[in-house]
Amino acid sequence: MEYSERMEYYRQNRAQWHSRAVLANEALDSLEVPVGCVIVEDGKVIASGRNQTNETRNATRHAEMEAIDTLLEQWREQRLSKSQVAEKFSKCRLYVTCEPCIMCAAALSFIGIREVFYGCANDKFGGCGSILSLNSSSSEPQTSGGAPKGKGFKCTGGIMATEAVSLFRSFYEQGNPNAPKPHRPLAQQATQ
Amino acid sequence: MEEMWQIVHIPDNPPIPPDQQPTVDAIASLIDPLFANTLVRRLNQIAPLENLRHVKRVHKKFVQGVHYTGKTQLSVILCLASQNGNQLDSIQNDVQELMNSYQLSPFITKVGLSLFILTRSASMLHHQKKSGKNNASYGQHLIIPQLSITGFSQEDSQSVFSFMKYAIQLAKSGDNLEVNAAVIVDPSVKQVIAKACDQTCSCYNPKNEITLETSCSEKLETSVCHGISGGALSCKEHSNGFPAKSEQLYTGVSCLCPWGWAEQESDMSLRYCHPLRHASIVAIESSAARDRLLFPSSGKTQDNKSFEMDHMQSCSAASPAKRQKTNSTNIQVNYGEDNLDLNGEGCSRSLSARPYLCTGFDMYLVWEPCIMCAMALVHQRIRRIFFAYPNPKAGALGSVHRLQGQRSLNHHYAVFRVLVGTDI
Repeated sequence: MEYSERMEYYRQNRAQWHSRAVLANEALDSLEVPVGCVIVEDGKVIASGRNQTNETRNATRHAEMEAIDTLLEQWREQRLSKSQVAEKFSKCRLYVTCEPCIMCAAALSFIGIREVFYGCANDKFGGCGSILSLNSSSSEPQTSGGAPKGKGFKCTGGIMATEAVSLFRSFYEQGNPNAPKPHRPLAQQATQ
Repeated sequence: MEEMWQIVHIPDNPPIPPDQQPTVDAIASLIDPLFANTLVRRLNQIAPLENLRHVKRVHKKFVQGVHYTGKTQLSVILCLASQNGNQLDSIQNDVQELMNSYQLSPFITKVGLSLFILTRSASMLHHQKKSGKNNASYGQHLIIPQLSITGFSQEDSQSVFSFMKYAIQLAKSGDNLEVNAAVIVDPSVKQVIAKACDQTCSCYNPKNEITLETSCSEKLETSVCHGISGGALSCKEHSNGFPAKSEQLYTGVSCLCPWGWAEQESDMSLRYCHPLRHASIVAIESSAARDRLLFPSSGKTQDNKSFEMDHMQSCSAASPAKRQKTNSTNIQVNYGEDNLDLNGEGCSRSLSARPYLCTGFDMYLVWEPCIMCAMALVHQRIRRIFFAYPNPKAGALGSVHRLQGQRSLNHHYAVFRVLVGTDI
């Protein structure tokens, strides 16, 4: 990457980090695993999402899925056609505090996102290099006969990873009350 | 009518073809069938096959005689051969004594190392024919049925088949399987928890709903019988595992072409589309909605927290909601006894019975799910997945990926393919 390009990239990331961190903190306050993300088109945040798995009791409601749903809802109201939706997605970049899991990485590939930036790696579920690499199209079977091919996307990790990790740390230190079996005892409840 | 229906376990690791099996050398000998029992008992004492418990020591072979007379030939594994030097010289003394007293003449053979899973298929028989006369491969064709034709009781199998029929009915519009269908089932009470079809396009009339009201009265038999009597069923399966239609016709099945949503029908209409609303995702959403309805928690998160803690404690105290972790070795779960009498009160479960997500529930899918759906089902803690048709280009449970074998994940489900009979 060119130097100027890299500077621009970090400048943007700084800006995006703030909104992601706010979202992740919001998730933390709601006793959710703190993950937040924003989707950016032409340098402008057009959607955001935070993890809502406990509240919805739907373990698939990750930040990325929330943000994608928000966008699709917007575009439905704007009455965009399928091809317009596809074109829109191909211009979008996603910034997320933690490496997308296998499900989200697949979803991002399906919608045809342009690029993904993430904070810390996800060494149990990560779908962008840690466990599977769904962002690289070559991991998908090459199909023939006009069938659609898997779409890859550019993916960069380790962006402000320390901040992302400390978010997780503060969450797990308070104890995840919604885990099926607490791996460590919940901190004594000092809350009112 | 249903002889053709079958449940096949899809293992966590890809099956190894017999000729690529890791093997070790062993010393074997032909024996007189009269002494088989004595010899095996003695050999198990003096030369036990420690790490090869799956291997049967005795191998039976039918040998064609000259005048159309056949006889059964028995051979037995005496011991493992040493890794170096002349293998036949390294036989330990007491085995050597045994050989002398029964006048055995040893030869070297191969023993399969890993317990692999294969059905009794044609290729298997073919392989058996290929193996040479004195090179009988122990372990390879003696260990077959352990997991392949799974340990489902007659009753459990029938229940699995019924739910799969139900899913296939859901996926049908007319005679065609144009979408995927997903049915989440609580096997302990044989009850449908949630059901959905692909909703990647609004043109399709969504069939999913929260089955809160209906599910209690909607017992399996009624719904399935209704489905069967109501529809003309003529979808036959081809040898390649697909229903009798060419593959191209299934582009509407979200999991088969997850990238294809934008390219379908190049119309510019304003139809709503959501590329991620695959049947599994919608069904999970539906089951979560049902959970919130059945077990509402007080609005405040602080209260919620303490409630969750109470719930956790009751769970760890062996509540029925905390069901056993399933892996391929204990797939035989005793459905019947402890839970059947809950049927009547299924609608009024107490809070302590609230399951964690879909813990203990099964998922029935017409098509093998894509990687997004497969991971979603891990997240939601589904216990077992049954699917009817493979998804060669995007399937995540054996075809392209094999998510059930991914050890780093925090939850693992067992995966089965239901071979659909000709009555569908």
